[in-house]
Amino acid sequence: MDKVAIVGFYQVKPGLDIMMSPYEMLFEATRGALDHAGLKRDDLSTVIGCNNDYYDGKTISNCFKVEAGGAYMKDESKVEMDGAHAVMYGLMRILSGNHKLAMVYGISTPSCFPYESVRILETDPTFDRPINLLNGYTAGGMQMRAYLNAFGLSEEDIAKVAVYNLKNAAKNPLAIPEAQKSNITVDEVLNSEILSTPLRKLMYPILCDGVTALILAPERQARKITDKPVWITGVGHFNDTYYLGDRDLSTSSSMEKAAEKAYKIAGINDPKSEINVAELFGHTACEDLILAEAAGLADKGKGLSLIDTGKLNPSGGTMAGYTPSVNGLTRIVEAVKQIRGEAEGYQISGANKAIASGQVGFCAQNNIIYVLEGGE
Amino acid sequence: MTLNLDDEQDVTITKGMVRAEFNFWVGIVMDKFYDGLQEKKFIGTKCSKCGKVFLPPRNRCGDCFAKAEDFIDLPETGILKNFTVTNIKISERKSRNVKKDQIVGLVQIDGADTAMIVPVLNINPEDLKTGMKLKVVWAKNIKGHPDDIAGFEPIGGV
Repeated sequence: MDKVAIVGFYQVKPGLDIMMSPYEMLFEATRGALDHAGLKRDDLSTVIGCNNDYYDGKTISNCFKVEAGGAYMKDESKVEMDGAHAVMYGLMRILSGNHKLAMVYGISTPSCFPYESVRILETDPTFDRPINLLNGYTAGGMQMRAYLNAFGLSEEDIAKVAVYNLKNAAKNPLAIPEAQKSNITVDEVLNSEILSTPLRKLMYPILCDGVTALILAPERQARKITDKPVWITGVGHFNDTYYLGDRDLSTSSSMEKAAEKAYKIAGINDPKSEINVAELFGHTACEDLILAEAAGLADKGKGLSLIDTGKLNPSGGTMAGYTPSVNGLTRIVEAVKQIRGEAEGYQISGANKAIASGQVGFCAQNNIIYVLEGGE
Repeated sequence: MTLNLDDEQDVTITKGMVRAEFNFWVGIVMDKFYDGLQEKKFIGTKCSKCGKVFLPPRNRCGDCFAKAEDFIDLPETGILKNFTVTNIKISERKSRNVKKDQIVGLVQIDGADTAMIVPVLNINPEDLKTGMKLKVVWAKNIKGHPDDIAGFEPIGGV
């Protein structure tokens, strides 16, 4: 794979209600990413956005984001999945040879719509939708039960992951204040409200508004723009079936395949020892472990051991704040910051090979994973 | 909130909610499934290559990418593969007032290789166990629609 780097990025500080319009937030992010890379808007040749029409309440919603996204009179397109998928779209445009610099952003404002209710529109309209029992809570509850049962683990084990994530969030200045819990205990997590058994409130991320943007550049340009390019050295993307009743929810086959492919491209033989940092988009504290295991960072059922190493989601992951269409992009930027040595307060020392992932669908139906590396 | 735009027209704005009605053709295979429900029967499909039995049915096997158009009659009994219990409304549009425990089960009908998401009834949540045998409870008014499945209840007591 030709070398493509992430050369600039910007995260709008997320919040439960930022009181900015989506376009104001988006402009702050895209202008911020250009300034971070020392670039002008004229330098961009393509802009890829990620958002979702039914989150935005209007169709072809990217048409409203042209100016704020930096796409005025430019090549522009949109992905309706996760921000991490938009990065692949930008990457492909650059690798085609037809584009140089790509702006990629993800945006949503869940303070404006009932996210869990809207997820009913993700369900199969011929059966699951009329039955009306599937949302993020119930899917997360069944997934957690499957994981605990498969490996003989307890709710306390997942509570430990939640505590780890929320304590990490306390060190991340871009985590939402509601998720920054430096004194949280396992008991508090285990006594928090039941969302859908055995899943509890403090094992589930808090929705927040946010925008993240980054800039991709091919090798020649990247070396001119920054002395700290972070290279995308591998990518894998696989889809499982929609139907939860067809899948083994204790693991993630699509993540297994995606990671296998990304590692092959990047020449990684032993992810356990070679990967220093993993920023993974899990929908719950339990799913963080499932995805980390599927990505080969730990044996099946042994993901809990990763919290002792500190290399899983040092930013707090999505438990630091969950923004649909943005989560995967934020995970990539957090991994980039680690490799650049700029994760102030939560830096993993010596981080030079990271993975970052995005997903869509119930119980992570679809996973996309990147291998990111610093240096030459 | 109601805004008076003029003397004759009131516009009601409901915070955070949109209405987005849409129709879907359910397709040949799901039509057959709905017809089966009308007769209080489960009709699945079978992959022509690997023999996997799907319920709810589909016309293809994603793995083999082969046709799954052979219909197969399935019984009213199955096992509870997974479950979760919540008292939080699933969809604000449909069950705003539901405050009691809703038991969500992944039930695999005997003879099927897939499980479907259905309500579990007539059992205390603390008595639920994966692997337990269940039987369908049909709705009072059958209309050839997924709502005909009122839920599943334990066979022979708990």
